[in-house]
Amino acid sequence: MKSGWVLLAVVILLAALAGLAVGQVDIGPAMLWHGALTGEGPGALTLRLIRAPRVVTGLGAGAALGMAGAICQMLFRNPLAAPDVMGFTAGAGLAVVAAIALGLGLPLPPVAAAGGLATAGLVAALSWSPRHDTPPLTLILVGLGIGFTAGALGSFAMTRLPQAEAAEAQRWLTGSLAARDWGQAAQVWGISAVLGLVAAVQMRALAVLELGEAMAAGLGLRAGRARWALVATAVLLAATGVAVAGPLPFVALMAGPLGARVTGARSPLAQMLAAGATGAAIVVLADLAARAALPGIQLPAGVTTGLLGAPYLLWLLARGMARGAL
Amino acid sequence: MSGSLRFVGVVALLALAMGLSLGVGVRDVPVAAWWPALVAYDPTDPNHITLITIRLPRLCAGLIAGGALGVAGTVMQALTRNPLADPGLLGVNAGAAFAIVLGAVLLGAQGAGAIAFLSFPGAALAAAAVFALGGGLRGDAGPVRLTLAGAAVNALLLSLVSAIVLIQRESLDILRFWVAGSLSEATRRPLGEMAMAAGLGGALALFLAPAIEALSLGAALSRGLGTRPGRVQAGALVVITLCTGAAVAVAGPIAFLGLMVPPLARAIAGHRLRAELAVSAALGATILLLADTAGRLVLAPAEVRAGIMTAVIGGPVFIALARRVRPGAPA
Repeated sequence: MKSGWVLLAVVILLAALAGLAVGQVDIGPAMLWHGALTGEGPGALTLRLIRAPRVVTGLGAGAALGMAGAICQMLFRNPLAAPDVMGFTAGAGLAVVAAIALGLGLPLPPVAAAGGLATAGLVAALSWSPRHDTPPLTLILVGLGIGFTAGALGSFAMTRLPQAEAAEAQRWLTGSLAARDWGQAAQVWGISAVLGLVAAVQMRALAVLELGEAMAAGLGLRAGRARWALVATAVLLAATGVAVAGPLPFVALMAGPLGARVTGARSPLAQMLAAGATGAAIVVLADLAARAALPGIQLPAGVTTGLLGAPYLLWLLARGMARGAL
Repeated sequence: MSGSLRFVGVVALLALAMGLSLGVGVRDVPVAAWWPALVAYDPTDPNHITLITIRLPRLCAGLIAGGALGVAGTVMQALTRNPLADPGLLGVNAGAAFAIVLGAVLLGAQGAGAIAFLSFPGAALAAAAVFALGGGLRGDAGPVRLTLAGAAVNALLLSLVSAIVLIQRESLDILRFWVAGSLSEATRRPLGEMAMAAGLGGALALFLAPAIEALSLGAALSRGLGTRPGRVQAGALVVITLCTGAAVAVAGPIAFLGLMVPPLARAIAGHRLRAELAVSAALGATILLLADTAGRLVLAPAEVRAGIMTAVIGGPVFIALARRVRPGAPA
């Protein structure tokens, strides 16, 4: 469906433009337009320093989370197997809060990545059983448990922070795009682009894995290694998004199925790209809604993705129940 | 070990936890001072003041909340035949806390007793929603479905709470007071009323226990035994609402207690729901009091909230239980 891709592109463009036009300071469209063209006046300053980096960071973070979600969902063949449901983003978030609390002064992307990878390793190790293959639902349950524990440890770390920093950490843990700068925008786009390429190369292996373990082995694929590489890429992508935007809830969960439905994408690569585009659209729209919903109040974007995502998760469950799949 | 000896052990453990909760803290109150403080209260003796105005309300709050959550968790797990059911994980705590915060923000009455009673409708709505969406009332809820439904309801309510707090800065204090999951504000909570509510819930649970056991044999078989599944489920939801609402009103949302206690109680009491309920209440109170006492000590003089302590212990317990669950099979 070509029209689906066009629709997605139009939505992203409109969302980005609206994200540039709406903000805490009320500046008329004429002045913004003037500022954008000439690079002078208050409009130009607001755009360059505040709104543009925010929108660009949001697009990058959403794309990274969306692609991460789609990879996991395709690999485990379960729409619930998203990095945010399985606790990976919670682990990345906990690592960042811990780094702030301990005052390590480390750059956040590697910290988030380490936290996410450690969590994924822990989930895999704890759901492993010598007797039988790990069903994806066990991974999901164990991941949920790890997510709960990470949340509790995060609150524990928070009690050790001074009040101002604790409030900041709380805001960060909700998932927010407030006060992003161009450095963060470049960071999320640069790392996501590299990881996206790596993932694109792996999509062939994913397509073979979908045929089943035996078939994959017959085609000369080392299934175990390919699986691990795919999970690692997905976790790194998710951590890249988390490092700049916080653990935005449910973006990775929603983006994959929604993107596939809108674009009608079939091949793994197309599904991943659709999920990335959808994730970008979701995050920018959620941020826009969070900022514009109530005059004078800037809610963090995580509040809106939580409000959107939770009913979606409930709908998924209700549908799974009707089909008897869960 | 014989059955009665185990029950004695449970009671002894509870007594030990109560003793530690009274005696240990930033200021240790010697046992010798306890009886005089009760019978001949001396308002100039710091030991007496600590014991009567701080430790005793805290002990009561721990007994009420811990016992109530133990009962609520046991009833939930028996009703859904799901080892991962817990008032905190299934969003019932969050529903009660959200109702209180919303009421406090809208009505503007902070810390007043009337606000605390909003926890009951909140808990009832959340419990009904999670059970309906998770398929809990059909008794065939897969653990994954029910747990995820709870996680979704939790996430939804948390987003709403953080939206309220960010919209109205003043409500942050309300939030801190009501949504902290701690026994430290016990003196300002309606302990007497909530003890009655929890007691009522516990009594109803004991009354319903045989019917719930019959129900766990399957709806058709239980009808043959003369049970009306709809009524029993409604009654069990009332128990869950009363117990969880009371616990949240005195201690805020405390997760994982209702998850950890029932398997321990089953190990001690065997598969007899009435005995299990009694042991659950005692063990719930014991664990909560121990968690609270430990929270006072680990970072002294700062306090770690009891809710955080139970969550840090409870997360690994959840994972251990989840590993044993065979997903897909009705638990």
